[in-house]
Amino acid sequence: MKQTTIGGTKRKVANALAMAGLIIIFIAYMFPFLMVLINSLKQKRDIIKSPFSWLFTIKGLSFDNFVKAFTQMDFLNAFKNSLIVTVSATVLVTLLAAMLAYYIVRHNNTISKITFALMVASMIIPFQAIMIPLVSIYGGTLNVLNHRITLIFMHTGFSMAMSVFMFHGFIKGNVPMALEEAAYIDGCTHSQTFFKIVLPLLKPIISTMVILNSLAFWNDFLLPSLVLTDKKLLTLPLSTYSFYGTYSADYGTIMAGLLLCVIPILILYIVLQKQIIGGVVAGAVK
Amino acid sequence: MKKEVKKVIAMGLAAALMTTMLTGCRFGFASDPDDPNEEEETIPIDTSADTFEYDSSLKGTSITLLNSKAEIQVALEEMGAVFEEKSGVHVEVMPVTDGDSPYTKVVSLYNSGNPPTMSILDTTDVIALAEEKAADLTNEEWTKEATEYLTEVNGKVYSFPLCIEGRGIIYNKAVIDEALGEEFEPETITTLDAFVELLDRLVDAGVEKPISLAKEDWSLGAHHLQYIYETYDGTSEGAQEVIEEIKDGKLDLASYDRMSDFLDMFDVLKKYNVAKGDPLGADYDEMAIDLADGKTAFWFNGNWAWPNLSEAGAENEDEYGFLPYFLNNDADDFANQQIQGSPSKQVMLDGQMASEKEQAAAKEFLSWIVYSEIGQQMLVYTCNVIPPFTNNPYEPVDPLSRDIYEKVHEGKAFNASAIVPNDHWSVLGAAMQKYLAGRSDREELIASIQDYWDEQE
Amino acid sequence: MKSKNGAKDFGMFALPGMFCFFAVVIVPFVYGVYLTLTDWNGVSKVKKFIGFKNFAGVVKDTQFWTSLLLTFKYVIVVVVLVNVIAFAIAYLLTRGIKGQNFFRAGFFTPNLIGGIVLGYIWQFVFSRVFVSIGESTGWKLFEVSWLSDPTNAFIALVVVSVWQLSGYMILIYVAGFMGLSEDVMEAASIDGASGFVMLKNIIMPLMMSSVTICLFLTLSRAFMVYDVNLSLTAGAPYGTTEMAAMHVYEKAFTSRQFGVGQSEALILFIIVACISGLQVYFTKKQEVEA
Repeated sequence: MKQTTIGGTKRKVANALAMAGLIIIFIAYMFPFLMVLINSLKQKRDIIKSPFSWLFTIKGLSFDNFVKAFTQMDFLNAFKNSLIVTVSATVLVTLLAAMLAYYIVRHNNTISKITFALMVASMIIPFQAIMIPLVSIYGGTLNVLNHRITLIFMHTGFSMAMSVFMFHGFIKGNVPMALEEAAYIDGCTHSQTFFKIVLPLLKPIISTMVILNSLAFWNDFLLPSLVLTDKKLLTLPLSTYSFYGTYSADYGTIMAGLLLCVIPILILYIVLQKQIIGGVVAGAVK
Repeated sequence: MKKEVKKVIAMGLAAALMTTMLTGCRFGFASDPDDPNEEEETIPIDTSADTFEYDSSLKGTSITLLNSKAEIQVALEEMGAVFEEKSGVHVEVMPVTDGDSPYTKVVSLYNSGNPPTMSILDTTDVIALAEEKAADLTNEEWTKEATEYLTEVNGKVYSFPLCIEGRGIIYNKAVIDEALGEEFEPETITTLDAFVELLDRLVDAGVEKPISLAKEDWSLGAHHLQYIYETYDGTSEGAQEVIEEIKDGKLDLASYDRMSDFLDMFDVLKKYNVAKGDPLGADYDEMAIDLADGKTAFWFNGNWAWPNLSEAGAENEDEYGFLPYFLNNDADDFANQQIQGSPSKQVMLDGQMASEKEQAAAKEFLSWIVYSEIGQQMLVYTCNVIPPFTNNPYEPVDPLSRDIYEKVHEGKAFNASAIVPNDHWSVLGAAMQKYLAGRSDREELIASIQDYWDEQE
Repeated sequence: MKSKNGAKDFGMFALPGMFCFFAVVIVPFVYGVYLTLTDWNGVSKVKKFIGFKNFAGVVKDTQFWTSLLLTFKYVIVVVVLVNVIAFAIAYLLTRGIKGQNFFRAGFFTPNLIGGIVLGYIWQFVFSRVFVSIGESTGWKLFEVSWLSDPTNAFIALVVVSVWQLSGYMILIYVAGFMGLSEDVMEAASIDGASGFVMLKNIIMPLMMSSVTICLFLTLSRAFMVYDVNLSLTAGAPYGTTEMAAMHVYEKAFTSRQFGVGQSEALILFIIVACISGLQVYFTKKQEVEA
């Protein structure tokens, strides 16, 4: 984006002020993470007695917390589980939601209207309200708990409403009918049109949804804890359970475990960030 | 550009992590000879003698154990592994994750059609679930070894008492000895006035605020407040009786002597609280450190606090012990002489969904804990709990458990646990917090206790 | 794409997604509603139909109404703060400021971590870090833990929620700003009063679709706040910061009044549905076709 030159000094001052404000807010935003980073290297006693200082610790800094967290979490296995669940569910929900939203936008019939209304309404159902019915249906009646595929299916179902909602808004605003009509005239079938013409146009919202959904799946605790009990299937957040004791928490290990959970997704985010912004710009240009 | 920096930090961290894992090296400014990373000393389990008779037909059976006592999760896993080695029965130990109550977890597991074969639960949970879900254990052999610690529901036993836990005023003897310049004899303190006098002497000697008082609702609502029921006559039946009377309105809390006794003691604790300036900001882990360091001399808690104290630097050889929760100035009152100690966690066996073979395997596991030499040792040394079974010859090693163990055996502990509704600790814990923070007075606190009981059917 | 292949289109495009959604959300929800009319306690094998008795229990549960009132207060503060802050930051971050990509990434980081863990981190920050800063500097602000005073604990909850939610909303607002055409942005970047008028009269109307989404998301999330509430304050001090969703959970599981808890969840749902329905209706009306 080009920088305009109108305005002169007044504008420069405004810009500098904005920048300064931004930096201050940014530091405040980052403060808790800084605390996590610092304290993940310290021993419990130092964390509790002097959480803020880094240098003046009694016991010194070490990576022990990381080693302990890594082994206690069975990190590699949990990482694999998280990866499988997150990737499958993200792909599934993105594709199905895009198709459903497309259908709803283009077919203004009763089914579309009811489904869409239900979806919007469902976004405000407190999870607590369906927790017990959910397990009693899937566990008691169907007996399919404790499988990765069940978790993937549930993740897909739970994030469907929100994803359809976002796709719906985007398609309505940014995908012109004219393009599709031209495709039909050229003899494309509906599915060809969708995959070849519409889907590429959805790239910006797809990358946004991929990020948002995969984050939610990666971090989710409550749903996996209901579905998975088998140790071999536990995802990363579940694998940190043992650091939170009944009476007190093992802060150092928690923070190290937390960083271990976040680092993969942080790297993904940093890598994908370009795509997201690029995608958004591409979408904006139309 | 800065993005790159971030990337580099992330990569660097990962790389550093890898190196430390490979080399196990440490860096920093450590100068403490007492290496914090040394392995906790563990007492080796002698597995040479094992006269327990295993039922070979159960080999290959797989059972699950839901554990709600987070601090023994690792110990239970070890125990399960040893048991599997010996018996061929696989025991999967599942934890109750944070944010879930044990009861919620069990209920959701039952609803999912996949309940654990055994669950470690609080007594109140067992009573709620027993007749609906649990297997009858009345005729199990081990009931004879723990006759005083069984929980009966309509005359039947549905649960296995896993451990005895006790609570009171934990003292650090070394701190008191040093401050007073003389040997501290805990037995000499038998009245509230004597306790206050001791506190004042400590204050004069430089221990400015000698008591740590947890702000957690489970501590205030369950461990403090329940004294008003449990000290009625020092039995669980008595506690039940007084609760019924409060419910029925037959007992006026405002004039009930144990109520005012309790508040007198609580006010003393409040007055000498190390976190007096911000009682609700008190930190649990800091209390352990303060007591071990000698900044305080007392901490109201139970023997489960040992892992925290040990982490804070206390050693098994140090002298820690319990004082009673003094209620008045009558030296003959049992409440001023004895501390409370009763079975807390119970193992319930699923009688609804588990197959007969699974039930048999679970029963074998429970008997193994009571009767096999290995199980007995592991219960005491690996799990570090106080066994309720009289045939278990092993004694706890940490000073807090040892003190309770001795008091139980010398008759200086009363076995009373009040069975209260599940939300008692959270609802009345909140009322107690308000009182602790000085934002409500006795009348208001008593009124909220009365209101709470009035709402129960 | 008109009707000819209606059924086939439906089967191919709509059905798979609808199936997932209905199977996981709607069916359990309907079953849950049915449960509010029974005396099921969450455990027993038999359920007896008892009509609206559970709802009578809700009326009697004064704590529920208190927590609902608190939730309203919380929602208003959070929704306003989140949207104002996110809108302003997103605006700044689309003006071509140096390192704006870095900032965008940074502001989003709170969303990289799940709510429960976030709450624990902040609890640590409020109860340990701030207090230790207070001890060494003598600042009155941090003298006692914020979490031990009802008002400050409420503020702490708001701070954490705003901190977390605004990153998410910044992302959506940024996408919205980038969707505006270059001319509009350029016009808006003219300084002074005309710039502000421009913002109000031209940018805001064009941004309304983003505003609709963000308002809706913040509203519903704020109403259902649970994770952070549980791990940051757990209702402390003495139950003064217990929000509606947490109360529902406590009622159903800690107090073991499953039917009443389930009914309260339903009431909460209806309230949120009405409010966010109204919000979407009114903000949609403000949208202009791009």
